[in-house]
Amino acid sequence: MQRYLNKLRWASLWAVFAMLVILPLVSVYQVYVASHGYRLLSPLSKRFYDVMYFFTSPFTDDPANSLDVIKGTTWSGSFFGLKISDPLAAIGQVAASLDPHWPFLVTALIPIVFTIIFGRFFCGWICPATLLYELNSNVAIWLQKIGLPTGNLHFNRRLKYGVLALGLVLSAISGSVLVANIYPPAIVGRELYYVTALGGFGTGTIFFILTLLFDILVARRGFCRYLCPGGAVYSLLGRYRLFRIKRTVKTCNDCAKCNAVCEFALDPMRDDFGQECNNCSACIAVCPTQALTFTTSIRDIPYQGPGHLGHEFNKSGQDDLPGQVA
Amino acid sequence: MLAWPEWLSDPVEKENSTGALCSGTISSLVMKRRHFLYAALGGTVTVLTALSSVPGAAWAARRVATYRTRFLRPPGALAEDDFLSRCIRCGQCSEVCPNNCIKYFGLEKGVSSMGTPYITPREQACILCMKCGDACPTGALKPIQRTRKDILENVRMGHAHVDENLCLSFQGKTCGVCARACPMGTVSIKVGFLEQPHVQAGCIGCGLCERSCIQLPQAIRIIPNYS
Repeated sequence: MQRYLNKLRWASLWAVFAMLVILPLVSVYQVYVASHGYRLLSPLSKRFYDVMYFFTSPFTDDPANSLDVIKGTTWSGSFFGLKISDPLAAIGQVAASLDPHWPFLVTALIPIVFTIIFGRFFCGWICPATLLYELNSNVAIWLQKIGLPTGNLHFNRRLKYGVLALGLVLSAISGSVLVANIYPPAIVGRELYYVTALGGFGTGTIFFILTLLFDILVARRGFCRYLCPGGAVYSLLGRYRLFRIKRTVKTCNDCAKCNAVCEFALDPMRDDFGQECNNCSACIAVCPTQALTFTTSIRDIPYQGPGHLGHEFNKSGQDDLPGQVA
Repeated sequence: MLAWPEWLSDPVEKENSTGALCSGTISSLVMKRRHFLYAALGGTVTVLTALSSVPGAAWAARRVATYRTRFLRPPGALAEDDFLSRCIRCGQCSEVCPNNCIKYFGLEKGVSSMGTPYITPREQACILCMKCGDACPTGALKPIQRTRKDILENVRMGHAHVDENLCLSFQGKTCGVCARACPMGTVSIKVGFLEQPHVQAGCIGCGLCERSCIQLPQAIRIIPNYS
């Protein structure tokens, strides 16, 4: 069953992305109708408005207003009246003002609790930039197939903690929440809103396109792996997450497909997930023997040795004793 | 009357030169930070002045100058320094704005203002619906009740100023459009002979008068209040 989680994840990513486009569109259209008057619309426009009203009326008190239940972006928004913010927004705001504003910090509590339980699930399942970055990875693979050079450098993963620290220090010096301008989900949410409701992309688009180019030309999925300040926060919070992926050594055949699909360049085949794993479940979906499953544990299992269905294990003539190190 | 009116000079520039952006309950750390910023700003200005003898740099400096527009923060905004440190650039104030008057800075005001909301009253002025304050998650825009008392007490976006050389009513033609556009009534603007507007101390700077002024360029405009 768990192998279908990856499909569910893609659905979730597309749904979040679609929401970020559709909600401003609906909002703009409702304001347009409210300001022009329903009676003055042409019959076709009236029909169009009725259809939209049919779908949106459960979620709004007043058709003249925009949707009430879901507002904002993944950076900060409200969901059925509950205000939810990114933990990085809370941290960045504290760093910039040096004066915690508690009503705002409380809004980051729900994501923090979820991250402590599920790890970097935001990065894999919700982040609107992840969708674009994963599609971008596919583009990089196509470019590779037609023979164009793409970058696949590896840096130290701890670089992103440096980016986080630098961003916070610069925020504190300048007195302005600068991390908001280098955090892709915040940028994507904002820019999608600008382009749908305010009539044009903003400056953040340039930065985002640069990160896409960085991913293609320098390091595959490089921004999320090595630079993202929000990813650093989620990694730290999700270090002792409750839900994590585990390899069953008895059914593993060492095919290394999991390593090939892992967007974060982890090593599931050798039980190396760490705090970087975003629980995206792509490795579960690709595993031919269903050796990878979600489990509840606050620590990874140390390396269990080669998989018992693998060529290397059989060659060494070992019994199927778990815990053997080759 | 031929002298350059004082209000026409850029308020941002004026406040930078006096160094009095805001005062009062600011910690000493923030003060230091601001001095650092002023030093950086002063250095930048010196370098730009030195470079302006070069033709290309002069062109660039003029471009920069054209982008230094007058802008209002949405109603209920904190003092500029506090506002920048509170605002997380989430874009929700514009999303709830029924009047579509809130826009966002790109790099016109530098990286520190990128993504922060502003209003250009001549294009679309604030109708004081006070929804942005409720939507703001961080309190960069204070939540304010939509009552006359609360608005008069808490909203200080700026102060209107009438240019008597441009205003039709001061040229002998009765107009009074700005006074009728004002949502606050006589505490903010009073009309006298020929409906000549006189801005009162209660002006909150929503900009509806500037938006409605029939003169081109507008005879009444809001001098923003960033403190």
